[in-house]
Amino acid sequence: MAGKTIQFEVKRQSSPDAEAMWEKFEVTWKPGMNVISAMMEIAANPVNSSGQETTPIAYDSNCLEEICGSCAMVINGKARMACSALVDKLEQPIRVQPLTKFPVVRDLSVDRSVLFENLKAVKAWVPVDGTYDLGSGPRVFPQQQEVAYPLSNCISCCCCMEVCPQFNDATGFVGAATIAQVKLFNSHPSGKVLKEDRLRALAGDGGVQECGFAQNCIQACPKQLPLTEAISDVTRDVTLQVAKDFLRA
Amino acid sequence: MATSGSNDASHSPSPVGRGVEPLRAGQGNSFLLRKLHSLSGIVPIGAFLIEHLLSNFEALKGPAAYAAQVKFLNSLPLVRVLEVCLIFIPLAYHALYGVYIAMRGKANVIYYPWAGNWMYMMQRWTGYIAFVYILQHVIRQRFMGVSLPEHPGAAFHKVQMELANPWMLAVYVIAMIAVCWHFSYGIWLFAAKWGITPGVKARKRFGYVCLALGIVLAGMGLASIYAFVGPDYKNAPAEVAPAQSRVVAPASAGDDSNQYLTLPFLDA
Ligand code: SF4
Ligand code: SF4
Ligand code: FES
Repeated sequence: MAGKTIQFEVKRQSSPDAEAMWEKFEVTWKPGMNVISAMMEIAANPVNSSGQETTPIAYDSNCLEEICGSCAMVINGKARMACSALVDKLEQPIRVQPLTKFPVVRDLSVDRSVLFENLKAVKAWVPVDGTYDLGSGPRVFPQQQEVAYPLSNCISCCCCMEVCPQFNDATGFVGAATIAQVKLFNSHPSGKVLKEDRLRALAGDGGVQECGFAQNCIQACPKQLPLTEAISDVTRDVTLQVAKDFLRA
Repeated sequence: MATSGSNDASHSPSPVGRGVEPLRAGQGNSFLLRKLHSLSGIVPIGAFLIEHLLSNFEALKGPAAYAAQVKFLNSLPLVRVLEVCLIFIPLAYHALYGVYIAMRGKANVIYYPWAGNWMYMMQRWTGYIAFVYILQHVIRQRFMGVSLPEHPGAAFHKVQMELANPWMLAVYVIAMIAVCWHFSYGIWLFAAKWGITPGVKARKRFGYVCLALGIVLAGMGLASIYAFVGPDYKNAPAEVAPAQSRVVAPASAGDDSNQYLTLPFLDA
């Protein structure tokens, strides 16, 4: 067994109001190790690099294959998914901290419910609830599917919002993910029925207009959603909707 | 130290009790204000910028031609109304709302040094430069010293005096580049944000168009600055007669000769 170890620095915070501090850890290297598996090692043996016993680090994760969206963190200064952050490809010490624009729950675990609230605010769903059988849905042509599929890949990780210079307390910007979902559901033959509601919602304060087109979102998105294209398309639709509403008022 | 229940979801702060506020669906009028800001940068301000740069380019033909251009602009119908409605008001709005926008963004190029992010930051910095520069430019050139609407012939001399100060010259050169940068990237942003160029390729291609435009505009601007400080028209007289080629057609058709027409106005 090679005695190779990996150095970690983790920003820790025991509760939402507690003060944050950095703690160093040394973890025995294993092949294919990623940041989450290193956290698991630390949980199994919560001792920091000065040999003191400490609490296991709290973090969110689930799928370990970059598909659930729960493990977004800032690793060496960049927002990304911890489960696909291979330690072999990272510079050491690996500095791990929680997303900076979301309230910390504990350690690396943050409250990202703002995205859920935003998705609700734009009705990001296909309304098919009913008291009777609605039958089969309309056909979606392959051409439409090809546009929709990449947008449906969003894992709600919030990386796009974390890196966005416009997503902050001052603007209350909705963020790229929600805008992309508006494009997705507006293009769905049944989801379309709420199209106008969604566009009107996005014309509200914190809506599409706040995007400064820095294009960080598209760089950061782990699922490579065509975010800037969606922002461009949706902003046009919102503008046309606002103009239409103005003339029909 | 909490020892248990740290993963319990019920412990999380109430949905968005703090942190970034969710979308205020359909509320407020920032959409309108923001779109107006974006549009005003193209028309009328961008259109005026092009006009202004073209007019300044006349300086390369000498003080008389420059005077003629100033005279022509000031002879436009309702010129003072146009000036207020198409220049001062939109410019003030674009500037003030622009500062408001810029102050609310949190630039993060240190962490994310990507091209688009740099341009985002530069758009804000060139905006600040333009703001300060234009403010002093309007005050000093439009409202202080010789009034050019009444004395178009004094335009060349007035600018020449201003640029004689090397500090001022540096300010003009920097501001010229900043303004052209801000405008050409502004056009690119406009097309991207209004849904004119949603496609990645289209945005890239249009980027080259805007880059070319920016270089041409800045080049023209710098060339006209050179006309005031270069050797060709050194020590232009305080006032010259506008070259008579455009507005009225008197006996002597003005040509593009580089001579000053130091004519009878001096005794007038
Ligand atoms: S393009 Fe818009 S949404 Fe994406 S990072 Fe930039 S400002 Fe944010
Ligand atoms: S759009 Fe991309 S970065 Fe944003 S939440 Fe979805 S998957 Fe994450
Ligand atoms: S654990 Fe699911 S995305 Fe990382």
